[in-house]
Amino acid sequence: MKKITVKMEVNGKDVEREIDPRMLLATFVRDELRLTGTHIGCDTTNCGACTLLLDGKAVKSCTVLAASASGKKVLTIEGISKDGTMHPVQKAFIEKHGLQCGFCTPGMIMTSYWLLGKGKKLSREEIRKYLSGNLCRCTGYQGIVDSVEYAAELMESEKAKEKARNR
Amino acid sequence: MGKGQYVDDITLPNMLYMGVVRSTYARAKLIKVSGEGAIDGNELRALRASVGEGAAAASNLDLMEPILARDMVYYVGQPVAAVFSEDRYSAEDKISGVEVEYEPLKAFNAVKAALEGEPIHPGTDSNILRETVVGNAFDDPKADVVVEDELTNERIMPNPIETRGIIADYDGKRLTIYISTQSVHSIKRGICSSLKLNPDDVRVIQADTGGGFGSKGGLYPEYVIAAYAAMKFKRPVKWIETRREHLLATNAGRGVHGKMKLFADKSGKLLALRGEITVDSGAFGGGMAEFTAPYIAMQVTGPYKIEKASITARSVMTDKPVQGPYRGAGRPEAAFMMERMMDMLADKLNMDPVKLRLFNMSDKPFKSPLGLEIDAAKPFFEKAVQELDYERLRNDKAGIGFFVLVPALAPGETARIRINSGKVDVWLGGNAHGQGHEVFVRKLIREELGIPEELVTLNKGDTDMLQSGIGSWGSRSAIAGGAAVVSAARKMKKEFEEKHGKFSTTELLNGTYDSFVFEKQEGQLNSFGANIATASIDKYGVVKVKECIAYYDLGRMLNPPMVRGQIMGGMAQGIGQTLYEELVHSDDGQLLTASISDAGVPIAENMPEFVVKVVENGSRLPHGAKGLGEAPTIGVPLALCRAIELVSGKRIRSTPVKQEYLSD
Repeated sequence: MKKITVKMEVNGKDVEREIDPRMLLATFVRDELRLTGTHIGCDTTNCGACTLLLDGKAVKSCTVLAASASGKKVLTIEGISKDGTMHPVQKAFIEKHGLQCGFCTPGMIMTSYWLLGKGKKLSREEIRKYLSGNLCRCTGYQGIVDSVEYAAELMESEKAKEKARNR
Repeated sequence: MGKGQYVDDITLPNMLYMGVVRSTYARAKLIKVSGEGAIDGNELRALRASVGEGAAAASNLDLMEPILARDMVYYVGQPVAAVFSEDRYSAEDKISGVEVEYEPLKAFNAVKAALEGEPIHPGTDSNILRETVVGNAFDDPKADVVVEDELTNERIMPNPIETRGIIADYDGKRLTIYISTQSVHSIKRGICSSLKLNPDDVRVIQADTGGGFGSKGGLYPEYVIAAYAAMKFKRPVKWIETRREHLLATNAGRGVHGKMKLFADKSGKLLALRGEITVDSGAFGGGMAEFTAPYIAMQVTGPYKIEKASITARSVMTDKPVQGPYRGAGRPEAAFMMERMMDMLADKLNMDPVKLRLFNMSDKPFKSPLGLEIDAAKPFFEKAVQELDYERLRNDKAGIGFFVLVPALAPGETARIRINSGKVDVWLGGNAHGQGHEVFVRKLIREELGIPEELVTLNKGDTDMLQSGIGSWGSRSAIAGGAAVVSAARKMKKEFEEKHGKFSTTELLNGTYDSFVFEKQEGQLNSFGANIATASIDKYGVVKVKECIAYYDLGRMLNPPMVRGQIMGGMAQGIGQTLYEELVHSDDGQLLTASISDAGVPIAENMPEFVVKVVENGSRLPHGAKGLGEAPTIGVPLALCRAIELVSGKRIRSTPVKQEYLSD
């Protein structure tokens, strides 16, 4: 199969690779870039373990062609922590027991990261609704909803601190 | 996060990707397999040595599943050949390149058809894999009331979000396996036995394991093929299951039918129970189905005092994948049979179901005629009725379910504690796959030896570091595994005291110690649990779970946040079984529920806010723990089915409860 060249920005770095035109974005970040935090759980866009951000939007990367991400910005779970410090969403999932086996967690976190990035205050029902494209088999989702609520609080207080610093 | 090392995250140099060609027929003669470089059943003539959870070989070796089909195929998805390629995409291409010639035959896909049809295995005289009678023989008692009915739990898939996967690596002498598993020891035994390898030449290492729920306890054909291929090609071989393969060919759980007849007098006193339990064992022996039917029968009387009980327990072979354990593995089925009958009896007597249940409990320990040993049930369940707020919720048509959890305590478990250079390393015979075993290990070692928790590391399973072990399943890790950790710690303490006199943690940490135990366990260590649920149903028959509360006796909680998390996760699975989850096959054996969503794994939006309550009545084990993991998958379907029954006014006889059954 004739290879094609794809170029994109992944977690703030430019990458360029020669790939099979049929390669999916999930396989691209996992196998080509060795960013294995993005998981594959179903191949059918049901489970959401492969969720990452493409130009700022949460997508299920197991049904996006890597070629169609060319020229775009990709953010994976590896890219949300800064200088070794975990993002508040990550901290919240640990503190509020939002995970057990950990396999769905990167996808859950990326969806939550996107969701909370909207800055809108969400009820528990709304959090459940927006997370319904991500499956978890271990937690029964309650710990995850707790985590997202708590992450919103952490992000709010970080924002307030930032504001105070800039004043 | 994002730093885990699941099996698909591991890449070895020069690695091949394996793809599996699977039968497209539920039953057919296999005429010819042709594909360049493919391994087929004529080349690899091995049998699947065991199926799941420490199961032994089949009573009849002719009924064991071949690793690769030869002459016949018995289910859609059965491995027929394997192909190997440089990457996962071209492995898929190679699968399409293999030509398989079949001569289709009529499939016996349902238990009823299999019982009436010809034997699926040539040379056998029926499709009954095993049939036994459990309990005591008795003549039907003179009863004021007899309730008789048929009940079903359809097959469902474990569906951990990480599918199965393996890497096999051969260095010319030794085979090293990296695998997603609940037990490296079970995998090692299986591979050695299937390929007739010397145990010294095989090492099995656990990768991070993304859930199991029973599906990753035992050996599967793909593991044997990958191991064989790694030795043949002298290259590492990776196989990662797709979700579709999981749904097609991984051991399915449940798939149990019951015919029950309950005799009572007009006061509500239970006089006798007679019944039949039939398990859909799938196409081969050697699995759970060899023992699940009598195992279900043994527990069926639950917390009730019934002096006469007799259950015919049979497993029937069908043209479907082998039945395996799914969280609960026989326990939810047993409780479902009994609790549905109790609700029907209550309705017939026009009696409150809770009153009927308590009336049939003893305040003394009891051993049922089927062999179930229980403590005094009445005090626990009287308390449960209060804790579950039954008096309030009964006004909202609450369903309640009572059960006995029978954990897989026997035969015990292994543990190794090693102290070197001030660091403490631990290995456990059962391998964690989301339960956080490290928390209870650290806590127990701190309690026994005074060692600060941050110095203790629980390592992943590795057969080179721990000589033997059983596995993580059957609600056994905190009990059997915990007891082994305590025992290994005490052995180490004794060794220290014999050498140096008075025990000192500091001195211990300065030394070099290595303590291994197999802590044997016998007998039952059963515990009680209760659930309550309320529901609403709209005019289209869609059920919404409103309240869902658990009250369980956990002996002693070793890790409270994980206990809560595990219970809530199990409660979601209980709702899943009751409302959404099912593996549906067409009459000719094709899988109709071929995605994880079609198979019904619950979503966040449909789950209620769970409430978890526990009581800690310490067990006889040194650390006081009781079983936990499977309790919610037993209890929730009981309570929720009754709630649905009360709200809809329709009798619930099977799970999942279908929307079309409830809609007007």
